[in-house]
Amino acid sequence: MDRSKLERRLRTSGVLVLAGLGVELATLFSSHPTAFLLFIFPGSVLLLIGIVIFLLSLLTAGETTKPQ
Amino acid sequence: MVTWTSLIVAIIVISIVLVSLIVVRPSITVGKGGKILAFVSLLVFPALSGGAGMSEHMERSKRTEFCLSCHTMTDHGKSLHVDDPSFLAAAHYQNNRVPRDQACFTCHRDYTMFGDFKAKLRGLRHVYVQYLGKVPDKIELYSPYNNRECLHCHQGARSFEEGATHNAEPGRLEQIKVNNLSCNSAGCHETVHGIDKLSDAKFWNEVREDGPK
Repeated sequence: MDRSKLERRLRTSGVLVLAGLGVELATLFSSHPTAFLLFIFPGSVLLLIGIVIFLLSLLTAGETTKPQ
Repeated sequence: MVTWTSLIVAIIVISIVLVSLIVVRPSITVGKGGKILAFVSLLVFPALSGGAGMSEHMERSKRTEFCLSCHTMTDHGKSLHVDDPSFLAAAHYQNNRVPRDQACFTCHRDYTMFGDFKAKLRGLRHVYVQYLGKVPDKIELYSPYNNRECLHCHQGARSFEEGATHNAEPGRLEQIKVNNLSCNSAGCHETVHGIDKLSDAKFWNEVREDGPK
């Protein structure tokens, strides 16, 4: 995978994780079932997807260092 | 004073700062230090934040204010302040027989988002009904209240084991302990929240450290 593709994946992963963290932070200021549900969907879901994309980019990142 | 919540907020804020670095400048991951930063920012800290946040939310959902935050529970919240010792929930709440900040959870342990998988699904069902369904006019338990929840505290207590009514006839105490005779049977502790009697009830003004409520 070329460098630019890896960076795009890192950016995507980062944006998703940021969104998830933002939602989670907002829900911590409320004690209500809705806050709990928002924490799970979409908070944790965005976080998990972002982490998965990062891990996938790690799996394919090794190809950038392969000798030609 | 550093609270658990402020610690979690700090972890999330640090995670946000670190992830922002990667988003703004992904090229820093070329070097070894950048790779470690990416690993910590996009895996370690978010996982830590998610886990800590989940733990905090699970603890909050045990609290009385959490249960009473839905307007459907307004009458149940009021019933805790009825000035009548025959109202079981009120008598327990006002005399600190249950922790006031976890009054609902203490008695309704199997009715919350904790416990076994079925209990968790029931808890989610409440939220579904609240927002997408129709809340019934009379709120009732899905299944009869199990004496186990009472005996969790009362079993072994002198007032329970040696109470005159509990021993009025042979075998009654055993029947109660094996849940064959409900604590809430007619003639026993049948008024729990007494929602239908609230309109005629007198209420107690809760005294707190910061003054009467």
